[in-house]
Amino acid sequence: MMKKMLATLASGSILALLTAASANAQNVDWSKALGHYPNLTLSVMSETDPYIDAIKATKDGFTPLTGAKVAVDGYGYDALHNKELLGCSQNDKSYDVMLIDGIWLGEFVEASCVDSINDRIKKDEQIVAWDDFTSQGAGQATWEGVRYCLPVAIYYELLFYRTDLFAQAHKEAPKTFAELTDTAKFFTNNPDFPGVYGYAMNNARGAAAGQQFFEWIFNAGGIPWKSNYIGSKDPYADQTPMFNSPEGVALVQLFKDMLRYEPPGAEGYAWDERANAFAAGKLAMINDWSVRAQIANDPKTSKIAGKFASALMASRDGKPVPPIGGWVMCINSHSDHKDAAWDFMKWFASKEVHKQYALAGGTPSRLSTITDADVQAKAPWTKTIFEAQKTAWTEVRPRHPLTFQLIDTLGVEVNKAIIGELTPKAAMDEANAKITEMLKSGGLLK
Amino acid sequence: MPVLLKAQPVKQFRYSAPWRVSTLWKDRVQQFLFIAPTSFYLVVLTLFPFIYSVYLSLHKVRLTTLHRKLFVGLQNYVNLFHDGVFMEALRNTALLIIASLILEILIGFVMAKVFYEIRRIRWVNGLRSVYLMPVMLTPLSVGVTFGYILNPTLGIMNYLLQCIGLSPVAWLGEPTTAQISILMINVWQWSPFMMLLILAGLTSIPQNIYEAAEVDGAKWHHIVRFVEIPSVRSIIMLGAILRIIDMLRFFDVVYVATRGGPANATMLVTLYAYQEDFQYFDVGQGSAAAVLILIISIVVTTFAVRFMRSIEYEQA
Repeated sequence: MMKKMLATLASGSILALLTAASANAQNVDWSKALGHYPNLTLSVMSETDPYIDAIKATKDGFTPLTGAKVAVDGYGYDALHNKELLGCSQNDKSYDVMLIDGIWLGEFVEASCVDSINDRIKKDEQIVAWDDFTSQGAGQATWEGVRYCLPVAIYYELLFYRTDLFAQAHKEAPKTFAELTDTAKFFTNNPDFPGVYGYAMNNARGAAAGQQFFEWIFNAGGIPWKSNYIGSKDPYADQTPMFNSPEGVALVQLFKDMLRYEPPGAEGYAWDERANAFAAGKLAMINDWSVRAQIANDPKTSKIAGKFASALMASRDGKPVPPIGGWVMCINSHSDHKDAAWDFMKWFASKEVHKQYALAGGTPSRLSTITDADVQAKAPWTKTIFEAQKTAWTEVRPRHPLTFQLIDTLGVEVNKAIIGELTPKAAMDEANAKITEMLKSGGLLK
Repeated sequence: MPVLLKAQPVKQFRYSAPWRVSTLWKDRVQQFLFIAPTSFYLVVLTLFPFIYSVYLSLHKVRLTTLHRKLFVGLQNYVNLFHDGVFMEALRNTALLIIASLILEILIGFVMAKVFYEIRRIRWVNGLRSVYLMPVMLTPLSVGVTFGYILNPTLGIMNYLLQCIGLSPVAWLGEPTTAQISILMINVWQWSPFMMLLILAGLTSIPQNIYEAAEVDGAKWHHIVRFVEIPSVRSIIMLGAILRIIDMLRFFDVVYVATRGGPANATMLVTLYAYQEDFQYFDVGQGSAAAVLILIISIVVTTFAVRFMRSIEYEQA
């Protein structure tokens, strides 16, 4: 009997070990799970953030399994939005798979540009493993309770800081707005740190400044509109804008104040300028999307590769709400190869391929990948991503059909406050009025 | 005695042979076939888009949901005049046109005089070609290149300023400097065009007029004021009209360099129309802006042409 018990215990332990070791390996029989598509080239349209190189490095694994080749085309942010929507309005079939920003989903669904994948996920539940995606990523790929896309390139906004400079200055990563301001001030025009500025923000007119407002407002203790508070069951129930709340005005004042600690010309800075300035060693710290850490970590183009670390972004009271963003992969509703497109998507988003993609420089969106030791060793900021997804909020930015216009309009007013054309209060009052009118005109506000 | 015959009415004899009718018909068909391709092109690529734009401008409609249109009459046009961004775009466009014209004419005239005075030097043709090169560049590439040159952190302009001990400038980051930068880029690219027109005018002035003026004791500024400027006035007017039409369509450089910012300092009517149509997909409002731009262009160029004709009449 003892021998029997020991044998059971041993086999149970071995089984547990094997299961743990294969957390990322789903043991999928791809020959049965995927179709056969000889002479087919699937076209994928994507944005040109750093993850696109990881997609290109990974995609060719699909060809030997199915016979289908995969071509990936990249476009800038605005150009991708315009091309995808314009193509959709013309029933364009030239692309089969589209990556879209999660905040565009409402607009694309209204325009019937993407297909629901609810039924497809039900048939391939084990491969898709929907619960393995971070909850915010899953939320970004869902609109009004329906799953339309797979969240393959989800970002979290983190604080990146220069470990060498901070070590020299005996400083720690700031946790509050007050600490952020003080630390930025310390490094700016400091003879011990020549040529270095404390910080850089997204100040440029339009989407840059507009998105930044949304990314920071929860951390500033405010909310962007009435029904959108953390934990809200229906964030879109009442979209009355709250941009000119005391927290909103104080936040824009912070943006304006921080300009003193930023490089000359920072009034026109957006994502690329900030990332390049950080990689060129001109900044002590920045907030940026997790995917862009690779720009600073590439020794071929960065002067600070290996000399920076990540932390959760600062907040007013030390309780961060990390912003979420990123790209979700969807089937073009006008494609002639939807089954092949779905096969590619489920293969690409599967646990084992997602890990390969993350190791190639892609941004991990699965919990199993985020906690993988190999991925964390390759991209140390992944550990911070794991912490960030614990307290992030999915609806930090609007995702309805008027999102693009709303964010742009807000960004113009925020920029006016930053450059001093208007006071923060006047700018936010103007933004509130314009966006209220826009939402009423668009039927999103009564 | 000759007998006068009573005049008989002459019968009209109509020669109506069938082959004569079919020849006429053939001629008509031939004429139609000759003008058909051009007419088709004009209708499809010019007239139809214009009519459709006017149609869309009378509706509240988004590009992503074209099947859902709501007729609103002239409301989109009324909204334009209440839209602060559009009014600012109109003002910026007018300022850009006036400032560009003044500078292009001044610089163009000075450079034309220089090239006129050195016209007999051996390598003047090559020099003129080099000076004309900006005109041959696409506005998009000009915008991209100047975006790099004027980059606050990595651009060569700020590098040169720092080399001589000056502080870097936010060329495209502050409203006033951004407006001046866009103006300078435009003038840099198109003053050679004005130079070319004025130079053509100067070379057409007969030499004996210069000789007569010199004999009368005229100094160089008298010659410029009383001989050259009156002679090239109509050419300058022509160049101004062409440039006004061009600048009412000015888009590429601003789109690439500033996107209308900072704030709305460099927002132009063309960029506004593009933004409404292709970024916000509000094609009703965007079409109204486009139609309004066309009306403004027609009015401005009509007045300009009338003014030019009055100058020509005076000269005649």
